[in-house]
Amino acid sequence: MNGDVLLDIQGLEKHFGDNQVLRGITTQIRKGEVVAIIGPSGCGKSTFLRSLNLLEEPTGGKIFFEGTEITGSGVDVNHIRRKIGMVFQQFNLFPHLTIKRNITLAPVKLGIMGKEEANRRAEELLQRVGLPDKADAYPAQLSGGQKQRIAIARAMAMNPDVMLFDEPTSALDPEMVGEVLEIMRELALTGMTMVVVTHEMGFAREVASRAIFIDEGVIKEDDRPSVFFSQAKNERLKDFLSKVL
Amino acid sequence: MTFGERFSLNFIEKNRYQYLVSGIENTLLITVVAAAIGIVLGFLIAIIRSTHDTTGHLKILNAICKLYLTVIRGTPTTVQLLIVYFVIFSSISRPMLSAFIAFGLNSAAYVAEIVRSGIMSIDPGQNEAGRSLGLSYPQTMAFVIIPQAFKNVLPALTNEFIVLLKETSICIAISLRDLTYGTQLISSQTYDYMFPLLAGAAIYLVIVVFLTWVFGKLERSLRKNER
Repeated sequence: MNGDVLLDIQGLEKHFGDNQVLRGITTQIRKGEVVAIIGPSGCGKSTFLRSLNLLEEPTGGKIFFEGTEITGSGVDVNHIRRKIGMVFQQFNLFPHLTIKRNITLAPVKLGIMGKEEANRRAEELLQRVGLPDKADAYPAQLSGGQKQRIAIARAMAMNPDVMLFDEPTSALDPEMVGEVLEIMRELALTGMTMVVVTHEMGFAREVASRAIFIDEGVIKEDDRPSVFFSQAKNERLKDFLSKVL
Repeated sequence: MTFGERFSLNFIEKNRYQYLVSGIENTLLITVVAAAIGIVLGFLIAIIRSTHDTTGHLKILNAICKLYLTVIRGTPTTVQLLIVYFVIFSSISRPMLSAFIAFGLNSAAYVAEIVRSGIMSIDPGQNEAGRSLGLSYPQTMAFVIIPQAFKNVLPALTNEFIVLLKETSICIAISLRDLTYGTQLISSQTYDYMFPLLAGAAIYLVIVVFLTWVFGKLERSLRKNER
């Protein structure tokens, strides 16, 4: 299943004023991969993830998505983002819209689907995330775990080629983490390409096909989880894992 | 004179109540037109200003808007009305048109800052969620940010329109026959100030209470779904 390079990241840099957060990150994400990104807080892992769909504008380096450079000028960012789904730590559901309209808003307004087709797709996705009875509810009526499952469905509605997860379980009460990870696990089984910034080491170990350790704005370790977690070479990673495992 | 006689003198004789009726019509018309201008122009300014504040774009438009807000908010409404009527439209003498424009432009400045505060109060994550789905900045504004911002600022907007309604009473400065001027026209014929002025005040009060009720209802229906 692993095949073509979906995201090709070359020497990615990001400065916030004088503060350099990313100091040259080079890696490739291939189709079908599930990449877990791990690192201490403030290491730049979220910034890295948010650069992939240009929510953060890189200040150096290049990103190619499906062969097209997206960091160049004259690129239609909105068009590229349609193919890159994103799930946020704080869910960011639209509180003024029903769950169904949260899911159908983008496909309908962007003219990708008609209203009826989008509604059917929404029902199908709600079924998939186990919340078929919530179509007409509003986000405020849901628990955190349910909100995040809806957020995943909303991103899926665009039929993205890759899904980015920015600490998807960090804002959840402990008893709700499992239900979200379960949906992500199922998503991974369907072959969806996923890049997941996470503190859930269990998830990274069991579901990810690759784990990346980012520290001080660079990739310090990049390996299969079986090697990554048990035979870490980098001292910082060993130290980090000893604290979180 | 008995109460009944004074009432009759001020309102019934020679159909003097008509001064109040046509006054109400003019007052409401000015308020509605000015509010419409205020909403359209105010939202436009608010969007320009908040787009500049969040993205750094639209520098020149933002500077124009800021100058506009400074001038409008820094000068008395009465003076603005007098300038529009006696200076800008001096040659054509159109009091109603002058009132529409003066109050509309004035209200826009206040609506703009109210709406801008509403837009800026929306969590940046909402914008990011919209953009991450491929919606453009204007689409995200229209479908995600503005509807939420509008809901949040509705109480402040209600207040602004109540102030606007009452402020139209300064139309007396350009001899426009609004409600307040109507009471004075009656007084000038009956030499009675108390009855016409109390009647005028009561009418303003009733309109304001009604407006407050309508907006309150709208607000509740918009909030209904967020529990």
